[in-house]
Order: sequence, then C-alpha cells, then structure tokens
Amino acid sequence: MMSGSEMSVMKTISGRSPQPLRSQKSPRSIRRLAQGSTKASDQADVIERLKSGDQAALETVFAMYSVKLYNVALRILGDAADTEEVIQDVFWTVYRKAKSFQGNSQLSTWLYRLTVNAALGKIRRRKNNKAVDYEEYLPKFQADGHHAVRPVIDWSDNLDEQYSKYELQELLRKALDELKPLDKSAVVLSDLEGISDKEIADTLGLSVSAVKTRLHRARLFLRGKMAVHLGYSPA
Amino acid sequence: MAKRNKSPDKALTDRTCKQISGLLNDYISNRLNPTVKREFEQHLSICPDCVSFLKTYKKTMAATGSTRVPTLPAKLRKNVLAFLRKKMRQIAVFLLVFADQICR
Repeated sequence: MMSGSEMSVMKTISGRSPQPLRSQKSPRSIRRLAQGSTKASDQADVIERLKSGDQAALETVFAMYSVKLYNVALRILGDAADTEEVIQDVFWTVYRKAKSFQGNSQLSTWLYRLTVNAALGKIRRRKNNKAVDYEEYLPKFQADGHHAVRPVIDWSDNLDEQYSKYELQELLRKALDELKPLDKSAVVLSDLEGISDKEIADTLGLSVSAVKTRLHRARLFLRGKMAVHLGYSPA
Repeated sequence: MAKRNKSPDKALTDRTCKQISGLLNDYISNRLNPTVKREFEQHLSICPDCVSFLKTYKKTMAATGSTRVPTLPAKLRKNVLAFLRKKMRQIAVFLLVFADQICR
C-alpha cells in the first residue's frame, strides 16, 4: 500500500488521486455488476472507474467476463497455453486502454472484439495453418433443388445414445478446429455465447449478412462432419 | 421430398429443399417474415427430408454449445490475476518515482 505522502505526490502529478492497489470496499455499482447486474448505469460507472485506474473495477470486469472470453479464446485457438496468453493480454489492454473506450458499443462487444482479434492474431502467426475445404461436408442438391441423397436420416436422437457427453464434445472440438478462423469465431460467439448476429457483426467488423452466411456454412460443415462420423451422408 | 401440387396452396409449397436449407438460420432464430415462415413450415409439412435436416442442424448447434466450459480453470485465473496485479503495481511504482523526480 502507498503511504499518505506517496498518494499526495501522485495526486500532484496526475491531477487525481491514485487508486489504491487493493480497494478496501467496492462501490455499490461494482458489487451489483459482480452479482450479474446488467444496468447501463452500473456498466457506465465501472467503465468510468476503469478509466481512472481502479483495480477493483478491473477485477469486477474480470469476474464478469473472464469465463465468456476464456470460452471464446479457447474454442478459437484450441490451445490452453495460447488461451491464457490471450486472456492475460485482453484484460491488461482493457486496463491500459479503458480511456479509448468511447461507449458507442457495449462493453461486452469491446471485450469480445479484443479477444477475437488477439486469438485471430495468434492463429495468423502459426505456421501450420491448414485450409479446409468445406465442400465435401456440405449438403448436395439436385438440379431441381431437392436433396441429392434421400432419405435424409434424422440422427439427432442417436447422438446422445451413441456418444458420451465427453466424446461428443471432443468430436465437436475437432470439427470446430477445422473451420476457417473467422467462421469459427462467428460460430463460437453465436452458438457458445448466444450473441446476436448484429453484435457478432460489430465484433468481427463484418456486415450482418456476411455473419449469417458464414454462420450458416460453418454450421452446415459441422453438421456434415457429425453426419459422416455417424456413418451417414452429409446431404 | 416436397411435391409441387396443383392446389390453391401451390405457392406455399413452391420452395425447394435447397431454398429451405438457406432459410434454416433465420427460421431457427425466428427472423423469417410471416409469409416466408408459412412457406417454410408448409414445405416441412410435406418434406420429411427437410424435417430431418432441420433436426440435425439444430442438434449440431446445441452440441456445439455444449462444448462451453462453465468455469475458468483455477490455475489460469490465479496466473492472470497475479499478472494484472503485478503490472498495476509496476505502474503505480513508476508514477511514484516519476513524481518524486519532478518534485525534486
């Protein structure tokens, strides 16, 4: 902890009182946010506190979003060590660049954008990036627009019977890893985090229609992978 | 496979399976306009292939969602918080040293 004279010196330099490294008592808005409040005023308050360098505010944001951002980074990267680095970098960036957050988008959109960009940056730096051709796993149609392979088998009930939850998750993880990075980001934000197409578009810097197209092709690919794994045609 | 009938409802069944496939996303998220939604559901009522396709598409989405982990690994949480606290402490010390030099 800083002494009183140290605090006084810092106030002289920065024009504001430095925040103690460990706040003794969190303000109400921060406590409410930590308990899951979605009130805009609480969010605005925690952002203002972040901008003033309040450590408690950063820890509240960490408590609120770390699991969400961890899931996003882990599924995009598929690697625990890279994920930890990304999470670390994202929250440190939040603390350093809180002043640049204009409030034009939601705090969550900014956090997702930082996380996805950091994860995609890591993927770009990897040397073993493999391009996957979706075509083999997409449904095929006849010239008149009807399914090329009939009947289409409904394997939705078999899935839970044939696989344990763990096996199913492993299957999906591998299939997700084969998606193109931007498609994977869209699927993760949508199907894991339940984010709207509009917020995904803002996060990824794409149009809503581009997000929809990417989501649909990626889901068709994942569905095709599952179907083939179960011994059926992706059609 | 959907049959094209000659009834007054012909327009409602004119959608092909390929077109239906392209509407799945909007149907699931309930964003189809009422007319298209009616066409979509009319097609489903006569096309078991598209019903199966829809069910497996939805199942894939749900299975993807199930890969979510509910908590942060304790070690990662500890490491990241330790990193952040250390960096914040470094900033505070830097400011103090800087302030001290200015005051002198």
